[in-house]
Amino acid sequence: MNKRVKRLALGAATAAVMTMGGFAPAMADTVLKFISWQTDDAGTGEWWHSAIAEFEKQHPGVKIEFTKAERSSYADTMTTLFAANQPPQIVHLASFEFQMFADSGWLEPLDPWLKKDGIDMTGWAGQKTCEWNGETVCIMTNYFGFVMAYNKKILGEAGIAVPKTYDEFLAAAKATTKDLNGDGIIDQFGTGHETKGGPGQYLTEMLNYIIDAGAYWTDKEGNITIDTPEMVEGLTRWKTVMKSGVSPVDMSASDVRKLFADGKMAMRLDGPWLYGTTEKGSAKSDIVYVAPPLTPPLGGSSNVLAMPSDIPDDQKQLVWDFIKLTMTPEFQRSYATMGGNTPPSPKADVSGVEKTIPHFPVLLATMKAASEKGIDRVPTGLELYYNEFSKMIMEESQRMIIQDLDPAAVAKTMQAKAETIKG
Amino acid sequence: MTDTVQAGRRKFFDLARPSRQHLLGYILIAPAVLMVAAIIVWPLILAIDLSFQQVKIPRLGGASRPFSVSNYVWLFSSQEFWLACWVTLKLVIVVTAGSVGVGLSTALLVNNRFEGRTVARLGMALPWAVPEIIAVVIFAWMFDTSFGLFGWLAIKLGFADQMIPWVSSSTAAFWAVAITMVWKGFPFVSIMCLAGLQSIPSDYYAAAKVDGASSFQRFRWITMPLLMPVLGVTLVLTLLWVFRDFSIIKVLTGGGPLRSTQTLSIMTYDQAFQYHNFGRAAAVGVLTLVICIIASLLMLGRRSKSIY
Repeated sequence: MNKRVKRLALGAATAAVMTMGGFAPAMADTVLKFISWQTDDAGTGEWWHSAIAEFEKQHPGVKIEFTKAERSSYADTMTTLFAANQPPQIVHLASFEFQMFADSGWLEPLDPWLKKDGIDMTGWAGQKTCEWNGETVCIMTNYFGFVMAYNKKILGEAGIAVPKTYDEFLAAAKATTKDLNGDGIIDQFGTGHETKGGPGQYLTEMLNYIIDAGAYWTDKEGNITIDTPEMVEGLTRWKTVMKSGVSPVDMSASDVRKLFADGKMAMRLDGPWLYGTTEKGSAKSDIVYVAPPLTPPLGGSSNVLAMPSDIPDDQKQLVWDFIKLTMTPEFQRSYATMGGNTPPSPKADVSGVEKTIPHFPVLLATMKAASEKGIDRVPTGLELYYNEFSKMIMEESQRMIIQDLDPAAVAKTMQAKAETIKG
Repeated sequence: MTDTVQAGRRKFFDLARPSRQHLLGYILIAPAVLMVAAIIVWPLILAIDLSFQQVKIPRLGGASRPFSVSNYVWLFSSQEFWLACWVTLKLVIVVTAGSVGVGLSTALLVNNRFEGRTVARLGMALPWAVPEIIAVVIFAWMFDTSFGLFGWLAIKLGFADQMIPWVSSSTAAFWAVAITMVWKGFPFVSIMCLAGLQSIPSDYYAAAKVDGASSFQRFRWITMPLLMPVLGVTLVLTLLWVFRDFSIIKVLTGGGPLRSTQTLSIMTYDQAFQYHNFGRAAAVGVLTLVICIIASLLMLGRRSKSIY
């Protein structure tokens, strides 16, 4: 009996020790939540994982919970989390959506943190976008320039040279749009644009032609500048491209990229992220990257890192350590070597990246060209209303195409509606 | 004295007594009532409260903004709201009529005895069993303008000489949404109607046949009146489903093009998550609820008593 009691006591004690032991590390860990749409992006996702691994190595007992949220519902997810007082500690947002959170006072001003560590942000590409009401509320993670990728086999078979201007681009797109098997359905497109999905992406796609025509939505002071001859020309070009059938319609950007990567499209204007898709496509060996024929190249800020203003101070320090780590020259270099992206840091050593990513010099050149011209997708003065503005522009452009309206009249309507939105 | 009090308490909690039996009922349904209050009534009160505040993004536990009717003023003067009401009404009529038409027809069909009836019944219920989002993604592929099955069929059958722009034409987009909703909605009507049809005694039909009633007369004077109670409830449930459905439109067209498929539920979402106007979104949501309540009362209330 006595033995049995002893055994039971021993068993209970062992179980208790093992249970406590199992809990102990979990209790000691601090977990930082980090939600992103890039967790499994080719290259960029791996870069984030490497930064997390290095951070966890430098901070024993601190874990980063890296969770994916789809880009299509990302803003909804973040809005819900902030509204429910449950924001992730590491805030990753697109550069056109952080403004609403900053305007509500939910993002920590980062100037004191930068000052404390003596970090000089001079020359950091796109960092000005992160200033909100005179304060730095985020760090620009990516600033990019658009490039043109083309399928040399398709252009070669059509006997077309690589286009250098809008007119040549349109002619090449028309010449390479074909019904290959004669069933009445186009199987090969000259180019491709997303026309189904978010208005933000629609705006980005049409902006290539608008900028090339010398137009933009606002000036540097934030005045609406849509009703101009240049904008009419830009809208005319967009209408021409979409009505001439050289692009598939009602497709999402990822479907268009896949189509291009699989050799069913001759040319595609896109950002650095296209490379990840083309590397996995069946036409990989035929794809060449060059500077876009539409100049200056579309470019601008892409995504930012920030921290919520109402998390405990010890967590703020950890989040800042993580942000700082991603800003180091080493990680800025690996942002290029691993992610295939153009790092925003002026101190990043990107020498030799072209050995693994042959078109990297083109990416750098277009990023610099866009940066020098001050090009950005988010128009000055309309940051807070970007979604409403982009939806209005998308709808008016669709109306122009569907109802065959005069671009000059459409520009006037857009101007009036944009002024109403701005208030 | 203490014994008397304790005896009194015992009597009060003696749930076996006929006069106390109703208490047992209340106690048993209390958890469900509390749950409903927590997940439906409380958010509803929050939404009504939010609709009277000029708020962009609210924060749980945050300070309330001053009372304002500006969201409702904006709503009633907004062309977008009236257009959304019109689109919702069109969709409710088309989809409800389509679902009831197809659902009743298929129920009448599979109510007959024929070889393979079980398989036909299973096939009829299949769209109901497919998760909505999966069904919509499949339909989105079939309606694809560049490579979709419906466009290809239209060309092959000679109805069109090129692919149909299902999602970039206002009329086509509306019908693409309506067809998808009817496909997803008719099995529910079928199942309900089939249950109703099976409860009609076969003697009635036999007697009518003896009296020389034709098939149509038997349908008009026996089937329809006896099916009406089931059909009435089914009609209201289908109507409410069309009213509140979000995922089919969101995935298929996103409310476009040119807001031709933007219903009140899509407008609520856009105001909240696209434009970050939660106050306005709450106002649209509250008005949608009011419209749904009125529609349900009209269909289930006194005026519709005759259908029962």
